[in-house]
Amino acid sequence: MTLKYDFDWPMLLEDPYREWIIEGFINTVYLSLMAWGIALMIGIFIGTIRMTRSPMLRFIGTVYVEFFRNIPLLVQLFVWFFVFPLMLPHDWMMSWNRLPHVPFLTALLALSLFTAARVAEHIRSGISSIPKGQFDAATSSGLTQVQMYRYVIIPYAFRVMIPTIASEFLTIFKNSALTLTIGVSEITSAAKSIEAWSFHGIEAYSVASVTYMTTTATVVLFMGWLEHRLRIPGLIAKK
Amino acid sequence: MTDPLVDIRDLSLWYEKFKALDNISTSFSSGRCVVICGPSGSGKSSLLRCINRLEEFQEGDVLFEGQSLRECPNIAALRSNIGMVFQHFELYPHMSILDNITLAPRHAKGKSKADAEALAHTLLERVDIADQAKKYPAELSGGQQQRAAIARALALEPKLMLFDEPTSALDPEMIVEVLRVMRDLAKDGMTMLVVTHEMVFAREVSDEIIFMDDGKIVERKETDDFFSNPHSKRAQDFLDRILMKI
Ligand SMILES: Nc1ncnc2c1ncn2[C@@H]1O[C@H](COP(=O)(O)OP(=O)(O)OP(=O)(O)O)[C@@H](O)[C@H]1O
Ligand SMILES: [Mg+2]
Repeated sequence: MTLKYDFDWPMLLEDPYREWIIEGFINTVYLSLMAWGIALMIGIFIGTIRMTRSPMLRFIGTVYVEFFRNIPLLVQLFVWFFVFPLMLPHDWMMSWNRLPHVPFLTALLALSLFTAARVAEHIRSGISSIPKGQFDAATSSGLTQVQMYRYVIIPYAFRVMIPTIASEFLTIFKNSALTLTIGVSEITSAAKSIEAWSFHGIEAYSVASVTYMTTTATVVLFMGWLEHRLRIPGLIAKK
Repeated sequence: MTDPLVDIRDLSLWYEKFKALDNISTSFSSGRCVVICGPSGSGKSSLLRCINRLEEFQEGDVLFEGQSLRECPNIAALRSNIGMVFQHFELYPHMSILDNITLAPRHAKGKSKADAEALAHTLLERVDIADQAKKYPAELSGGQQQRAAIARALALEPKLMLFDEPTSALDPEMIVEVLRVMRDLAKDGMTMLVVTHEMVFAREVSDEIIFMDDGKIVERKETDDFFSNPHSKRAQDFLDRILMKI
């Protein structure tokens, strides 16, 4: 018995497949970018409060990180999708379910909060790597704690962390494939549908793979450029 | 002007169980330059860092212009009247020299950007690196960085300047340029507390010398008097050792 498989690459350019691919790609990029942006904001906030002197703030930060980092993303997706709406008051649940794009919003929420915990950890280690003297210099000059973090510590930590932050985007981008399980029409789910309709699995999943690979490569190139632009003059050459 | 500018009363500081400052009482008057010396670990940095409450002392109090640091409602505002210079400069590496200098005047003292920059340029001229404003710290020599750090502290228009071993991390030829800036400051009447092992500077520039050991002030004297006849054996030994080295 021979294995026979007729390749049909041009079919990918025909509708509805073409439309599914485009929609899937757009959704994947949208979801990843938005989740990344939200995760950065929450992550910077949580990571920073874990470094302050207030035991209360540090505790809140630690609880957040341990909670979101240690539960598998897939479980978090299901919890947000299936369990969370049930815990809302009845009218809230009704309005939540009436929102357009509930799967997309749920995926955005889950991905953002999960990734924020990871970002917070990176921020914390970034901040710990800053020499203590920088804190002394800022404090002794009369800046408040908030000003010190806003103008000195976070911008400094941020530059140290550009590679990590970039790789966090790539992680989100790849993790976004999981959201097909709650019905988000992202690129992997597009591939899955094409395969189910056409039985051309190789072509379908090739599209998804190539999409992930080229986007990743583009991001890596862009981050290299950004890192170069934001490098601290004189510092890298000396290392 | 309140006198004394700084009044230290029964000050003790612990790091965990270790007593780094042991019941210190002393005061500093405006317009004087006082050098603090003593062996490593004697508490010189700790004493300096209590004066702007970089260290939270457990006992006693420090009064700055009569204001208790312990009860100070706005410690950041109080700190913005005290300039501090560190052994390793601690310039912010991701900001230009100009931005380093204008940061605190703008955000701690509420100066406009234009005013802060005008002040910064005047100060850079004063410390002799007017042409380095646009550069980043790592692009400057050690001596230039320390002078930029002094300019940054002076931009607070401080009533007191604290120097913690400002030349210890520098090569000999750079030490001279930093000490020259500090000498000029002292001549202009700036109130200065300087932790240093530069005994030539101490002898030429300072008005008084404090010798510390074991978290205590062992001796405090007018400079001439200190060098002609230090009383304590420990101060004498220390001087012998340090002057031998030179
Ligand atoms: N953050 C800290 N935690 C614990 N112990 C400390 C800390 N800072 C200083 N010490 C200890 O307190 C004592 C006094 O330290 P301090 O830095 O004030 O000494 P110093 O006179 O400035 O010494 P040096 O000439 O080495 O700078 C030392 O024994 C030091 O080990
Ligand atoms: Mg010291």
